[in-house]
Amino acid sequence: MTADQVRRALTAAVPGLQPELRPRKVGVRAPVEVPELWAEVPREGLVAAVAALKAAGPLHISIISGRDVGEEIELLYHLAAGYGTPGGEVMVTLRVTVPKSDPTVPSICGILPGAETTEREKIEFLGVNFTGIPSTAHVFLPDGFPGHPWRKDDPETAKLVNRLVEWEGKDA
Amino acid sequence: MPETQNVYEIPIGPIHPALKEPIRLTFRVEGERIRGVDVRTGFAHRGIEFMGMKRNLIQTLYLSERICGICSISHPIAITLAVERAAGIEVPPRAQYLRVIYSELERIHSHLLWAGVAAHELGFDTLLHLTWKVREQVLDILEELSGNRIDYAIPIYGGVRRDIVPAQVPKVEAMVRYYRGLLDELLDAFLRDPSVEARTRNVGILTAEEADSLCAVGPTARASGLPKDVRQDRPYLVYGELGVKAITPRDYGLEPRGDVYDKAVVRLLEVGQSLDLIETCLVEMPDGEITSFPKIPALLAHLKKAEGEGLGWHEAPRGEVIHYIRLEAGVEEPVVWKVKAPTYSNVMSWVPMFRDQEVADIPIIAASIDPCICCMDRVHVVRDGSEATVQMEELLRLSREKTDRVTRRLSPVPRHGGWA
Repeated sequence: MTADQVRRALTAAVPGLQPELRPRKVGVRAPVEVPELWAEVPREGLVAAVAALKAAGPLHISIISGRDVGEEIELLYHLAAGYGTPGGEVMVTLRVTVPKSDPTVPSICGILPGAETTEREKIEFLGVNFTGIPSTAHVFLPDGFPGHPWRKDDPETAKLVNRLVEWEGKDA
Repeated sequence: MPETQNVYEIPIGPIHPALKEPIRLTFRVEGERIRGVDVRTGFAHRGIEFMGMKRNLIQTLYLSERICGICSISHPIAITLAVERAAGIEVPPRAQYLRVIYSELERIHSHLLWAGVAAHELGFDTLLHLTWKVREQVLDILEELSGNRIDYAIPIYGGVRRDIVPAQVPKVEAMVRYYRGLLDELLDAFLRDPSVEARTRNVGILTAEEADSLCAVGPTARASGLPKDVRQDRPYLVYGELGVKAITPRDYGLEPRGDVYDKAVVRLLEVGQSLDLIETCLVEMPDGEITSFPKIPALLAHLKKAEGEGLGWHEAPRGEVIHYIRLEAGVEEPVVWKVKAPTYSNVMSWVPMFRDQEVADIPIIAASIDPCICCMDRVHVVRDGSEATVQMEELLRLSREKTDRVTRRLSPVPRHGGWA
């Protein structure tokens, strides 16, 4: 797949989307450009965007990364469009921002069942809700773990870190 | 899945002789047949990403190397590529070749390690001893080149930390010749042995459709016939120019079935592929600098000013590893660091692989994806049926008490004066 095909699929599915091309030069003797697309997607358009990528060719989700940006949570869906095409894979990153007051995103497991582990991880670590996810059980943290460690304003994580710092200071 | 009253639950793990690392697999079995499995991870979760976001980038690089002892080149390569992308750092050509050589050496030792584990899980310990004996050669070369058998501390932002000097090249070439002469014997021992075939053919099947929808990666996906390989599909470093081709069982003249046998085929053939790549790199590698930042303080100062985000990927021995990093100017630590290890993508593949298999095949099917669980904090204890979490202080106190008890019994003189 080419970056253009991916861009067309995305803009057709979610009107108004402006994917940004960030190519990287790779190689030493005969360098080639490996394309990467980054796009901001409203959460209402997420499922349509992923479905359009899936319709365009084999699709793989590498990971969803995320961060706490004050009043909002930013999620980055790192997808590989055209997965398994020699030299023809395009890394697509979809950026979805949701308010902390309503951190809900539609699940993409219906399109990509392989996204379940990473969506469940985001429930634990960032306290995001995914509507339509097959299971919400913890993957990494113990059941009943208090708080969400990647939230910067999380009092439970702060308590854990403070205990650790105190303890390390005592033992050093 | 027909549920009858004859279905029982068997928990395997978190600690179990059939497993090399802590994970809990709860099987529903009917007689000797597995009807379903529930996978629970997290028993080795150390919160490494959280720690990385509290440290400067050089410290984070060291931390990334300790995510996994086997992939101790793969994670540093992915994080350096991500940071170089975010901070706009160029890597000298020679360093790119050196990184490839180290990754391929790692692939050889990792695949041989897997082959030994697989043989052991089949009850074929002679083969385990043979593969692990021959694995020593590549570990010796890694020690010769980097100073360590694992945790090589080779990649750094902007290049690598050690060159391969001319005197070392013949040693690497001798290692390549050694494995070339041995590969046929290994293929023979694994793939033409009737008992190995009986235990692995049509066992733990993952179809191509399942591998695709569950986003499997690495040899797990390739054994199902999907020619996916990050080195081939999304070139990075000099892999695009080396012409890497994803290996599937078709390269061995077999129609892929996605069973344990096919996974062995793919991994063993990949050892040969890595030998070719190392040889080509040694010939093609140009002379020159090995890093664009020879002085660490200059590198740290550059990184502190950097602002941006980047992705770095690499085909680790077990499949795609990807790191995302976000840097902000004026801040030494990464604002976001997300790591995806290959097993993360492959865990879900276990569910179809275990379906309708025999209980006796659990160890080899579990091992077939070459799981690497050590990407995960906390100790989880189940006592009297109730779960509790033991914190580090408590664990340390318990272990010191035990050491005291043991040493008192062993020697009349205390072996240590206690830790202050």
